[in-house]
Amino acid sequence: MGHPYIPNTREIRKQMLREIGAASIDELFTDIPPKIRLKRELKLPPAMSELEVKRHVQAILAKNKPFTQMLSFLGGGVWPHHVPAHVRSLVQRSEFLTSYTPYQPEASQGMLQALFEYQSMIAELVGLEVANSSMYDWATALGEAALMCARVTRRKKFLVPKLISPERFSTLQNYASGPGLEPVKIGYDRTTGQLNLDQLKKEMSQDVAGVYIENPSYLGFLETQVDEIAAATHKAGALFVVGVNPISLGLLKPPGDYGADVVVGEGQPLGNPVSFGGPSLGIFACRGELKLVRQVPGRLIGMTTALDGRTRGYCMVLQTREQHIRRERATSSICTNEALCAVAAAIYLASLGPRGLHDLAELCTSNASYTMKKLNAIKGLRAPIFDAPHFNEFTLNCDDTRVSIQKLNAGLLKRVIQGGKPLRTEFPELGGTALLCTTELHSREDIDRLASALKELLGGRR
Amino acid sequence: MSYQQARWIEPLIFELSKQGRVGWALPGKPRERINIPKELLREKLELPELSEPEVVRHYTRLSQMNYGIDSGFYPLGSCTMKYNPKVCEELAALETASCIHPNQAEETVQGALELMFRLERFLAEIAGVARVSLQPSAGAHGEFIAMLLTHAYHKSKRDDKRDQVIVPDSAHGTNPASAAMAGYEVVTVPSNARGRVDLKALKAAVSERTAALMLTNPNTLGLFEDQIIDIAKVVHDAGGLLFYDGANLNGILGKTRPGDMGFDIVHFNLHKTFATPHGGGGPGAGPIGVQRELEKFLPVPVVEYDRKRKRYYLDYNRPHSIGKVRAFYGNFGVLVKAYAYILLMGAEGLNEVTEAAVLNANYIMHKLLGVEGYELKFDASGPCKHEVVFSTEPLKRETGVTARDVAKRLLDHGIHAPTYYFPPIVPEALMIEPTETESREELDRFVVALNTMAQEARSNPEKLRSAPMATAIGKLDEVKASREPILSWRAHRKLAKK
Amino acid sequence: MVKAGDYDVPDGLYYSREHEWVKLEGKLVRVGVTDYAQSKLGDVVYVELPEVGKQVKQAAEPKIKEMELGAVESIKAVSAVYSPLSGAVKEINAALQERPELVNTSPYNEGWICVLKLSALEAELKQLMDAKAYAEYLKKL
Repeated sequence: MGHPYIPNTREIRKQMLREIGAASIDELFTDIPPKIRLKRELKLPPAMSELEVKRHVQAILAKNKPFTQMLSFLGGGVWPHHVPAHVRSLVQRSEFLTSYTPYQPEASQGMLQALFEYQSMIAELVGLEVANSSMYDWATALGEAALMCARVTRRKKFLVPKLISPERFSTLQNYASGPGLEPVKIGYDRTTGQLNLDQLKKEMSQDVAGVYIENPSYLGFLETQVDEIAAATHKAGALFVVGVNPISLGLLKPPGDYGADVVVGEGQPLGNPVSFGGPSLGIFACRGELKLVRQVPGRLIGMTTALDGRTRGYCMVLQTREQHIRRERATSSICTNEALCAVAAAIYLASLGPRGLHDLAELCTSNASYTMKKLNAIKGLRAPIFDAPHFNEFTLNCDDTRVSIQKLNAGLLKRVIQGGKPLRTEFPELGGTALLCTTELHSREDIDRLASALKELLGGRR
Repeated sequence: MSYQQARWIEPLIFELSKQGRVGWALPGKPRERINIPKELLREKLELPELSEPEVVRHYTRLSQMNYGIDSGFYPLGSCTMKYNPKVCEELAALETASCIHPNQAEETVQGALELMFRLERFLAEIAGVARVSLQPSAGAHGEFIAMLLTHAYHKSKRDDKRDQVIVPDSAHGTNPASAAMAGYEVVTVPSNARGRVDLKALKAAVSERTAALMLTNPNTLGLFEDQIIDIAKVVHDAGGLLFYDGANLNGILGKTRPGDMGFDIVHFNLHKTFATPHGGGGPGAGPIGVQRELEKFLPVPVVEYDRKRKRYYLDYNRPHSIGKVRAFYGNFGVLVKAYAYILLMGAEGLNEVTEAAVLNANYIMHKLLGVEGYELKFDASGPCKHEVVFSTEPLKRETGVTARDVAKRLLDHGIHAPTYYFPPIVPEALMIEPTETESREELDRFVVALNTMAQEARSNPEKLRSAPMATAIGKLDEVKASREPILSWRAHRKLAKK
Repeated sequence: MVKAGDYDVPDGLYYSREHEWVKLEGKLVRVGVTDYAQSKLGDVVYVELPEVGKQVKQAAEPKIKEMELGAVESIKAVSAVYSPLSGAVKEINAALQERPELVNTSPYNEGWICVLKLSALEAELKQLMDAKAYAEYLKKL
């Protein structure tokens, strides 16, 4: 009997063994010392047919309740959006899907051009000249950005806002630990959430490698003092790093326009499913200055020509930065990245275009505004807790009710609604607060349903 | 030769743009006034404007100018380019997998947690380790995290002098790069004449400063480090840890396990050994397994099962954990595919995978040894494992044709180039990994192609030097590309204006 | 001019085993990479120049960072430039930033890397080879 994925049947393998002069397959494993040879079969379930596997995995996954089958208001790092059918269908084309890293440019022009287009669209979106062809996710892109700031400036401190996503902060700490880079948190204004500029200026010194802000912030509000932060950063000779949700840039001023030297972000909302938080797509972009570009982590695709000097072509460039050449002196160890997610992002951005992305960003913002308005009208609820403009995420506080966020969420879940993410363990000082998100997936009726469910749970009338 | 890749003159998508076109329609119109001050809004955004059919045609054409494992033989050494079963794609795309949010209430993601819990145990059994974290996004990420764990381990023993990591000269570049990223000084040990770690040199290299040895076994020459028991002893006696680079796990599935060899930390490349597609560079997944004494340092969260509540949960209450290494729990979509693959194969199937993969590599080794111009630089007395590294040095001496020329010419045969010029310890290296999913006929065709090229090198070397011809484009000016890098449309236009 | 195979080895310069050349210029020396080195490396796409003021040590085994005068890069290789003598970097060839190919086209003239101010010229010069000795050395490689 043959095996579906192993073309050489046992019979053929016997013939091959004969041809190479081996008496049995065991002869090919005599180099493994007997002491460490596995003398039993691996303890795994017996092989299943495709049909059995399909049923088995479907059955396990059926224990999940996807947000498509309920009403969910979760964001906070990955955001549910509609993935157009053609985006998925194109990235599933097996020439893209089953290719390796484009080491042979002549046979990989398709992937290389698609990635060059991705880099180009990200560069446009964030207002910088250079984007790499992806990092693992936003958190690791931030870690790499901090390391790059340290390499460029040869300094040892990295300033971040106190209201940074805790996941990203913890990841940053791990990335920073190697060269002994110290992340320092800068406080915020309790009323507006805005970065405390006085403290920032106080912490600014000749040790500071970079200053990082998130815009929109982790809690959804916009940072309005970007010009001041950029100025203070550059005055001290540090680099300004901005983290973004790329959808917001359909509407918002690109960080490159307000002085960002490096932009990182989460590219998942650009045509990639949420997928329990991975695969994600780490965005990494920077100014075109060679001093920075040579310190970029990860792969860069460049435009060139064939040797005829005329036919346009694409290849990986500045590879001497990378691990396979520079080894311990590489700018990063990253090799496998998130290329296919980047291609999805390129297809998504090309499909929406400037108008589409603008309208989408506007719709997401508008839905958030409407949700805040509706929730604020409920007695005891406050949304948002910060007096600042918001994009599509916002905070909801219930300290003036007698019910906790957890309890409210449990009640919502009974009504097939997934409420916001509780923030108490992350930011105890914010009290009973949750982080909510709206996108184009939410209709007005959906939002009304959330509002009336909360009203009901808090004892109000419908 | 009858191969020809598609050759479209396909402009950049920006050049196909026509004002006013759009490839997507919004589900509704914004009804609330946007409360964002004008100075925070952007003025222009120069993205391409196209309709859906135009977008689809553009990227379809691009895909046709790309070579994947579904297009043909892909013997790229160290990369395990095996066939990726389609059913795995279908499962990962289910709404119950792709449309769940990482912050959803625990009771609504029991399936995801159960799948991860089970996959973790499968991998632990395959590698012979106590626990596995599924979080690392890729191999190099797994290596980096392994180095963070190494650091946490020594620190917990108040042993903070250990600032060196040892790697063999044949190691993948990611090994020294990951160690350096984690703050370690890298010490390189040479290989011996048999292509294995030089035990004497290793003994001389270890000291009270040794934090770990990073090793891949089978090594990058496709040879099993048969002194692994002694190697492990040397490193452990010196107080260091052993890290296993799992890139070559396809060569030993069911035959031996890294844990049994003495490794303390093991990483897996699900996109290699466990047949998840590589996506033109990613996403992959690079879980790491550890032995008991390192378990408490694993990144948070870990998936646990509460027997009382009969419920899976994410455990964050781990005071010794190194913390987070990425935002969420791993490349879940990839994990689903690897889980399905392991079920498709079963224990017996995985064992067969290794047997067939190793046989295929030995078959190629045997056949190529008979072709003049190619030779083995190291031990040819025993079998190789899943891959074999030939040197084309004799051919170069005779004809001036290089390994790179040979590799490029293979593209004209509709065969992807092997890895070349790696490992660096083999001059004119061709690193060939056939995997188990290739038929004997395909292997024969490959050997014939290499044979033809050896003859071509003698009769018409120019043909090899000017290869490839049958690909979407000929050789590129990579020197120009790196001297004056054009990394975006924006940069290209700026330059064109000049 | 001495020739070693295809490679130029001009008279009057000193050479190191790491394929750097040294030209005495009064109290200073000019340093670059040899024709052999540039040829082995292939098309140079970038030259990482040392910082002016950097203190370097004469190259010896084992190699350490303090012996490096930057690096020369081709598309797929990086080669450290090891200092043939101990001293401090006095001047760098800024033209290489825009035109790294000068290392290929004119290794002994326009492609120079830097000028060093020396700390122990007399003693260290003995470690280096003259053109004839270097040409012999190349033939053995």
